[in-house]
Amino acid sequence: MKFTVMQSALACGLLYIAVLAQAQPPGSRVPLPDVVQPPKRFATSTEHYQYLYDYHDGGTVHTYESVPKWEGLWAADANNSGNQLFLESTNGTPIGPFGEGENINIKKGVLTPEYEAAFQYRRDLGVDYDRLTSCEPAGMPRWLLEPYVRDFFNTPTQSLWTNDLGNDTRRIYINQEHKNIDGTHYAAGDSVGFWVDDMLIVHTVDIYPGDYFRGTPPTSNQFETVEIWRMETLNNGTHRLVNNVTFYDALSLVNPITVVYTFRPQPELEAAGFRMRYWECAQNDNTYLTIDADGKPSTQYRLPGEAGYADPRGIDTRRNPDLPPDLVGQEKSPIFNDAVQ
Amino acid sequence: MKNFLKNVAVASLVVGTAMESAIAHHSFAMFDRGREELLSGKVVRWAFNSPHIALYMETADGTLYSFEGAAPPSLISRSPSMTGFTFQPGQEVKVVYCPLHDGRPGGAVGYIIDAAGTFYSPNDGGCGPSRDWEKWLAAGYTSRAEAEKAAK
Repeated sequence: MKFTVMQSALACGLLYIAVLAQAQPPGSRVPLPDVVQPPKRFATSTEHYQYLYDYHDGGTVHTYESVPKWEGLWAADANNSGNQLFLESTNGTPIGPFGEGENINIKKGVLTPEYEAAFQYRRDLGVDYDRLTSCEPAGMPRWLLEPYVRDFFNTPTQSLWTNDLGNDTRRIYINQEHKNIDGTHYAAGDSVGFWVDDMLIVHTVDIYPGDYFRGTPPTSNQFETVEIWRMETLNNGTHRLVNNVTFYDALSLVNPITVVYTFRPQPELEAAGFRMRYWECAQNDNTYLTIDADGKPSTQYRLPGEAGYADPRGIDTRRNPDLPPDLVGQEKSPIFNDAVQ
Repeated sequence: MKNFLKNVAVASLVVGTAMESAIAHHSFAMFDRGREELLSGKVVRWAFNSPHIALYMETADGTLYSFEGAAPPSLISRSPSMTGFTFQPGQEVKVVYCPLHDGRPGGAVGYIIDAAGTFYSPNDGGCGPSRDWEKWLAAGYTSRAEAEKAAK
C-alpha cells in the first residue's frame, strides 16, 4: 500500500477511468448485448407472451437430460436498467447507483405523471431509506439487479432461481398456466415459461408493488414482465446469462420498456468453498427504519444491550422464550466461545 | 513497476468492491462517512454472517464497540480474503471506522489491521476509508481529521 506521488496520480487516473467504465453500464466487463425489442407493439404482457408462445408452437419439451444446465454460482453483472432509464444528467455528470448526483433530473415522458410525481417525492426525501432494511424480499423487478450470490436450477417442469439477498427465490413453472389461489400478489409474482431449445421465455404477473432498485421509481401492482433468458459463451470461453426483459406497467410507465440484464459466473467463490447462506435478518441485522419529526425516512443501528438488538451468534432469547436461558448447547456457533450479551 | 501494477490492481479492486458493496440492502445514513477514527482493542466476536458481517471489539477501558461491514460473499473475493476464521476472540486488532453520528460506541468498519500490520478491508458503503492509513498509522495519528490537520 505504499505509493509514490507519481504512482498515486497514475493510479487515480486509472481509477477514474475504472469508475467511468463501471458507470456505463455498471459492472460491465464485456460489451452489453444489444437489446432485442419485441417483434411488435403489444398492449399487455399477456398478449406479448402468447404471441411468442404461438410463434414457437409451444416451444421445446425438455427432458432432465436435455434441459439447459446453468449450474454454479452467479452474480448480477452489467445491465442498462435502473435509474439509467428514468434519470438524465444536464451537464454530463455521472448518475449514482441510487440516482444521486448533481444536476440530475427525471426524464420526461417515461413515467406516467402520477408516478413521475411520486418519484420526485421520493428523490426530494433523499435516499437515506430502503424498504429492504427490514429484509423483505427484493422481489421483481429488483431481483434482477441486486448483487450477491445466485444459483439457477432448471428442470423440465420448473426452474428454481435463488438469490441469497433476502432469501428471494423465483420459481418458473414450465409449460403451465398461471395460478393464484392466494387472493393476493407476491414479491416474486407468479411466473410461467416455456423453452425454445436453449432459450427460456418467462411471463410474470401478480407482483407486489416494488422498485427497480433503491432510489428508483416505484412499480405498481400492475407491473408485469416478459423475459427471454439464454446462456451465452463468450470469446474467452466463459459464460454469461442474458435476460432480455420487457416491463409492462400501465400505471407507472407511459410505454413498455425493454432492457438487458446479465449475470456472470463466480468460480472464485466456489474455489474458496463458499456456500450460499440464508440471510439471518431476524437474528443478525441491527439496522432499522426510522421516521424523523419532519417525516423523513432514514436508518438507524442497534448496539448490544439496546432494545431489539439482534445477536448474530449468541443465544437469542426472543427465538426460544419458552426455554431456560441457560440451557446448554443453544449458542448458534459452538466453534468460538464469543457470546455478546 | 511490478509494485505499481499491483497497487493499481488493488486500487481497481477497491473501486470494484466499493461499487458492489455499496449496494447493500439498507442505507448508511446512521454512519458519519466523513469521519474516520482509529481504535485498538481485542476481538470479542467476528460474526461472518449474512447479510452483514459484524465485528465486536473491547477497548482497554472495557467499552464494547460494534462495527458493521459488507456481506460475506464479497469479503471472500477481496485481497486479503476473509472467512469466518480470519479474526478470533481475544485477538489484538486495530480498527479504522466511520462512527455513528450519535456518538454511541460503534460504526461502519473501514479497515481491520492485525498485529502483523496487514490491512483487511471488510467495509461496505458505510465507510470508504482513506488509502493513506498505513502512512497515518506509522505516524501515530488516530483520526483522519488529525492527519489532515497535521498535513496542512
